[in-house]
Amino acid sequence: MIFRVINIVVIGALVLAAAYVYRIKFDSTVQAEHLAKLRIEVRRERDRIAALRAEWGELDNPGRIEILAKRFLALKPVAPTQFDSLDRLPERPPDDVRAANDDPIGGMIGNLDPPEGVTGTIPVPEPPAAPAATPPDQPSGAPSQ
Amino acid sequence: MSATAETLPVAPTEPLRRRLLRSLLYGRNSNRAAKARARVGLAIIAFAVVYGIIAVRLVMFAAVSDGRVAHRVVSGDAIATARPDILDRNGEVLATDVRVPSLYAEPRRLIDVDEAVELLTADLPDLDATELRERLSSRRGFVWLKRDITSEQQREIYHQGLPGIGFLNENKRDYPNGAEISHLLGRVDIDNQGTAGVEKWLDNQGLAALHLAGLATDRLQTPVQLAVDLRVQHALRDELVKARDKFHAIAAAGLVLNVRTGEIVAMVSEPDYDPNIPHNPRDPGLINRLTTGVYEMGSTFKAFTVAMALDSGKVTLKSSFDAHNPLHYGKFDIHDFEPMQRSLSVPEIFTYSSNIGAARIAMSMGVDAHKAFLKKMGQLDRLRTELPESAEPIVPKRWSELNTITIAFGHGLSVAPLQAVMGVGALMNGGILIPPTFLKRTEAEAQALGHRVIKPETSAMMRYLMRLNVEKGTASKADVAGYYIGGKTGTADKVVFGRYSKTRVLTDFMAVLPADQPRYVLLIMLDEPKALPETHGFTTSGWNAVPTGGAVVARIAPLLGIEPRLDLPPADQQILASLKESR
Repeated sequence: MIFRVINIVVIGALVLAAAYVYRIKFDSTVQAEHLAKLRIEVRRERDRIAALRAEWGELDNPGRIEILAKRFLALKPVAPTQFDSLDRLPERPPDDVRAANDDPIGGMIGNLDPPEGVTGTIPVPEPPAAPAATPPDQPSGAPSQ
Repeated sequence: MSATAETLPVAPTEPLRRRLLRSLLYGRNSNRAAKARARVGLAIIAFAVVYGIIAVRLVMFAAVSDGRVAHRVVSGDAIATARPDILDRNGEVLATDVRVPSLYAEPRRLIDVDEAVELLTADLPDLDATELRERLSSRRGFVWLKRDITSEQQREIYHQGLPGIGFLNENKRDYPNGAEISHLLGRVDIDNQGTAGVEKWLDNQGLAALHLAGLATDRLQTPVQLAVDLRVQHALRDELVKARDKFHAIAAAGLVLNVRTGEIVAMVSEPDYDPNIPHNPRDPGLINRLTTGVYEMGSTFKAFTVAMALDSGKVTLKSSFDAHNPLHYGKFDIHDFEPMQRSLSVPEIFTYSSNIGAARIAMSMGVDAHKAFLKKMGQLDRLRTELPESAEPIVPKRWSELNTITIAFGHGLSVAPLQAVMGVGALMNGGILIPPTFLKRTEAEAQALGHRVIKPETSAMMRYLMRLNVEKGTASKADVAGYYIGGKTGTADKVVFGRYSKTRVLTDFMAVLPADQPRYVLLIMLDEPKALPETHGFTTSGWNAVPTGGAVVARIAPLLGIEPRLDLPPADQQILASLKESR
């Protein structure tokens, strides 16, 4: 009696195991096919990227750019005199444009003429009209809005 | 045989008749029980082996099947000839593989040859009908009909539904920059095998074996990065093409070498070719003049002569040599282009490019020392680089004093121009001879490869002379403001029918930039430039190669990251003063 129970249990386990293995195998086949498909897609994409890179290389060719630039742009090759190093750059001039001014160009014009007798090394006295609320080196564009 | 029979010992009380029968059948003293056990054991082992094999095969099938699936699908387009991409030093694509369909046929599977010929020639008009018929009628299993067809043609042929006609996707080499970098890259044949230049070098690096084994199918190979800079290459080529047209020269060539690393940043040999278009590779007009040609370099060789003398310590910048009269040697007379008829100091010999002076310097050093120095500078041996093309220098078999005299000013010894550039690079960079390379290389690697050939002080003196030559010598037309160029000109009479021609010359210009902190050496070479009204009838280097060199430097120096410095003192203060300080 006990043997018969064990037999039935074993047969049941066998069937379950077989079904389980079948499922795993089936899944793995599906996955493998999916993988193969993706591989082909990756290959195709790579080929397409290569073709595009080749085309980009052709379009980006300096000779072609030169011809286009000569025809459509007013640019000229840079002369050695046009280069300078950063450490020779002069200090930033005091702000011509007052912050919080609605009319930056007008502000610049207003600051163009320093009072008579004041040289460039002496700071121009602050006009009383300028509000002190914003720091003077803030760029124009009315940050108070 | 039952289980009881094999486990129980043979009963002694067996009836006589059966004992007799058994002794007749099996022999008198055999132990049947032991035999039976052995047989069962054998059977167990046999079954275990069979089941084991089955289990292993099952595992193998389960594990390998994925790969098989992928492989089966891919085989539709694999002719295993993938090549790695070639990039320039900034990562721009110089050569890459693109997939193109190719048309093939399996003649044995064709049903109607006439129909196939008719339909195919309708779609591909440039296909020769008779040749096509011949190919399709052959009994072979596989013939190519046309390589590299367009995708529209592929679609149309596909829709005709001819049996035995098929397509394979092949790798085709594409050079997006066309003729811009031709000689350096080389080219490939229809089967994607390298036949020249870097492409052939790649094959020799093991790629050919990979192709043979059918493994080079995928795009996963790492790209090869070269030392060449596409922008510099373009600027150099553009100026050389202009110069070649302007001076009606047969050929023009140029080279930019990084003197600290030995990297070849640009190399142009005009006329060149578009590697995308197949053509005759043996056309002698299209050789790479910088590596495959050998030339008498003319006065640029005086740099070696002077460097040898200065390095020996026997001659200083203050030494002077007699150049009153033409130098007589045997039946030969050595003349100067512009005779000075006085004694010349070493800087004067260099800047006036005096043949007599250079010859006298070399004679004072002796034949053996001269030969040994040129050997040390790598001018007498074949220079091998990555490029498969190289040429042996033409060295006189018997090196007499006359040879030393002529070689002192650059005649009588033909070298590959790349070789001369390597030597001048060593004269400039502080005295280290570094083998040039087409691949990217760091300064540390280059220092490990190079070896010292002259003293650093000699190198500084040579740079002073080169700069002096631009400030007030034959190379003054190359003085682009801000880049502190130094240079030496050379004009060599070409040998025509065994004699030196007076009208046909090869001019070259060897420039270093900047002369006080050398980074690059530039070579410009023009083959048979013609005299123009604006050169006042001259064909010497100072009138053609030198202005070309100046124009090239003005364009490439910003690309090479050389900062212009506009307020530098003349050479004797900038270079010589620092030399005296260090002493």
